[in-house]
Amino acid sequence: MINKKQAIEVLNECLATGADYAEIYIEETNSKSYATENGKVDSASVSKTHGAGIRLLNDLQSVYGYTNNIEKNGLLSLAKSLAASFSGEQRVKITNLKIKKVKNNHPHLRPYDEVSDEEKIAYLKKGDEAMNIDEKIVRRAASLAHYTKKVTLINSKGFIFKDEKERGRLSLSCIAKDGDKIETAYEGPGASAGFEYLENSIDPAELGKNVASTAIKMLYAKECPSGKMPVVIGNGFGGVIFHEACGHALEASAVSKNLSVFANKLGQQIASEVVTAYDDGTIENGWGSNNIDDEGNKTQRTLLIENGILKSYLIDDFNGRRMNMKGNGACRRQNYKYEPTSRMSNTFIANGKSTPEEIIKATKLGLYTKSLKGGSVNPATGEFNFGCSEAYIIRDGKICEPVRGASLIGSGAEVLMHIDMVGNDLKRAQGMCGAASGSIPADVGQPTIRVSEILVGGNGGELK
Amino acid sequence: MRFNPKKFFELAKEKGIEHSDVGVSHSRSTSFSIYHQEVESFSQNETFSIDARGIVNGKFGTAYTEVLDKNTYKFLVDAIYSTGSVIDADKQAEMFEGSKKYHKKNFFKAKPTEDFKERIELAKEIERRIRAFDPRIAEVASVGYSENFSDSLLANSYGLNLKDKGCSFEIYAEVTAKDGDEVKTGFKVFADHELEAFDIDTFVKEVAEDALNKIGAVQCKSKKYPTVLSPETFTSLLKAYLSNMNAEEVQKNSSLFVGKLHEQVASKKLTVVEDGLVKNVFYRYHDDEGVAINKKNLITKGVLETYLYTLETAKKDGVEPTGNAASAGKMVAVPNYFYVKPGKKTFEDMIKNIKEGVYITDLQGLHAGMNAKSGNFSLQAQGFMIRDGKVAEPLTLITVAGNLVDVFNNIKDIASDLKLCIMDGCSSPSVYIKKMAISGK
Repeated sequence: MINKKQAIEVLNECLATGADYAEIYIEETNSKSYATENGKVDSASVSKTHGAGIRLLNDLQSVYGYTNNIEKNGLLSLAKSLAASFSGEQRVKITNLKIKKVKNNHPHLRPYDEVSDEEKIAYLKKGDEAMNIDEKIVRRAASLAHYTKKVTLINSKGFIFKDEKERGRLSLSCIAKDGDKIETAYEGPGASAGFEYLENSIDPAELGKNVASTAIKMLYAKECPSGKMPVVIGNGFGGVIFHEACGHALEASAVSKNLSVFANKLGQQIASEVVTAYDDGTIENGWGSNNIDDEGNKTQRTLLIENGILKSYLIDDFNGRRMNMKGNGACRRQNYKYEPTSRMSNTFIANGKSTPEEIIKATKLGLYTKSLKGGSVNPATGEFNFGCSEAYIIRDGKICEPVRGASLIGSGAEVLMHIDMVGNDLKRAQGMCGAASGSIPADVGQPTIRVSEILVGGNGGELK
Repeated sequence: MRFNPKKFFELAKEKGIEHSDVGVSHSRSTSFSIYHQEVESFSQNETFSIDARGIVNGKFGTAYTEVLDKNTYKFLVDAIYSTGSVIDADKQAEMFEGSKKYHKKNFFKAKPTEDFKERIELAKEIERRIRAFDPRIAEVASVGYSENFSDSLLANSYGLNLKDKGCSFEIYAEVTAKDGDEVKTGFKVFADHELEAFDIDTFVKEVAEDALNKIGAVQCKSKKYPTVLSPETFTSLLKAYLSNMNAEEVQKNSSLFVGKLHEQVASKKLTVVEDGLVKNVFYRYHDDEGVAINKKNLITKGVLETYLYTLETAKKDGVEPTGNAASAGKMVAVPNYFYVKPGKKTFEDMIKNIKEGVYITDLQGLHAGMNAKSGNFSLQAQGFMIRDGKVAEPLTLITVAGNLVDVFNNIKDIASDLKLCIMDGCSSPSVYIKKMAISGK
């Protein structure tokens, strides 16, 4: 690892040909994971990721490179070959670097590495065994993965940031089978914290039982009908709909190039009046939280939409240049192999006024999806799709028969306008979000909401 | 400093790790993208990694690192020991002594580009031509280029020592087309082990038309239609279906193909040939456990020919491993490059008797809307109506739902238009399915 004097030398090498900004990102990530299957530990692994990424900016151009050779010679040679992309005179000269203290807002009280294998495995097996509720559950899998990531960020603004984070996540999944029918169910809670989060907040036995009962329930569900209908989406992971249908289109990477349906719409109504939404990278111990973003800016609680009006985008400094706006702490990357860009952290729709019961009661005929699986979206058109993991038909204001194989299709701009009720039971859930700068931990979230009309795909004919 | 596998094997043995193996890989890549006739981003990368495994009391411990220094050997051995020691699953770790014969070829002869001026000019030319293609092309979001070179080694304490070289060149473009308020996107990627086959005219036309042809798209009426799947959309469904060939899933009773070996699992029209030795970027002569790869049929006239085995699952069934092992945390069996045997009719000929049907050219949401184990799927789709035997108006925001078993048993015809689908690593022609449930308005 380089010292201060060497870092100055590397930065000046980066800036020698006219770049107006340079940044060195050095990362060391140590991870460990354990996986059980049907109650036995099936695999475990240890891994070390260690490397550096260097980014040079010159107005609206960026140059990025990475290497595992993080000694002075490796970084200097990378800096030199990257700087060769420009052919100007040195405009910025670095003479000194100042250490900027990064305050840790996400305490880890029991670091995972200090918890024994036995204790973590015992916890994991509790979750695995709790899924064994029925002979129809043919396979159970549980896994625990945790890592610590040490980041050193050195930039030509003259600062050195040193940050350290720890994250851990439990996954429980099972397969229920009866004859030709197979259904799967899954839950994956996690946090930017030590083992105390799982130990104190997640009862693996209860979670395991819930996962297994969802799989059994879906196994005997009828095929979901298809067509346009009102859809009530449950709290927690249901928020993936906002993440996909709106969040991605608010990222500066899409907005700055006019590739988003929400470009040039600040101050305009883009959602129905009952919708207020935030991206909050500061939530204590939140799965998608960070102390600083990957450009060294403090993470923020950003009001995205207030009563339907678009208030802000998610901006990194580089894309902000094209938009004449400053970064708001939203610049992220998976690791040193990715050039960072604007991304979400913990993104959610805020509480509204209705109770979940009122929302169901007000729906005559439609779909209630308790939770969703992942989905995807085309940010330019806003077209999205999601799979429903647990869904029911609503008849006369009551939740009735379960249905399987449902998916929701639509365009983000339309769905936002069609949200007509928002509940008061906000809950967040953990996911991995994949985009240009890799796969990063992100929370989705919402209270129970109702969309007055959405296209439901399924194999069960017309809804009657 | 170079990694010395022997030193690692010896240290592992001293620690009581009976056998061990190691995958060492070194790769270099360069990429750039063009936006508005400027190089918007340029990237140069070099990485090194080691994947190591060892057998501790009959169980595999695993470790990964990107650091090569004097502590690396001890780090790997300690990590393998600690992870191997916690495994209590009832299974026996297997390591491979080697196949009798390997079909090693070397056609990865291209060299890294030294001066990128010409490549950058090519990308700029692509951008200009896409813009000039049609006034409705509103934006070229990016034109990208990348080249990758890799060297790797798979070695184990039995003396296995397999070396690989690889290279690939990629060019992609993303465009948006606009007509009034309507915005459509188009995307295309070219990838090959050399650049010679790249044809700018075809590339520009295909990416521009990918966006332009979607303009004016509507939703069709919800009902069951005779459905034609493009090569890309058919391979998406086929890959999900073939994931059931993994013997581990069969042994654990969670595959659609339990009890289906040598049985009919698809229409007689369907033959799928696996050919890992193909001369393209997907060429491989051994799998991740070191087993030689040979050409074989996966499905012959609708009959399932084999399950796909790793060493461990093969031993359980008392058969030979099939050269399909891939390391994904643990070893799983996946198909190598494969192709669907094309039929005789051209695409136009195949659809000429469809009075009213749907031609699907894009499927989204496969990770959420596809349950490969039950075969049920419900996916977002785009495509075109087929009217009176011809491709007609574009369709958007429709869903196609069904079960893979039904789809594959209802293949009515397969066209002759075999196409390499880069994203899925396989080739297929267009395929005509008797009926599929489409939801629209």
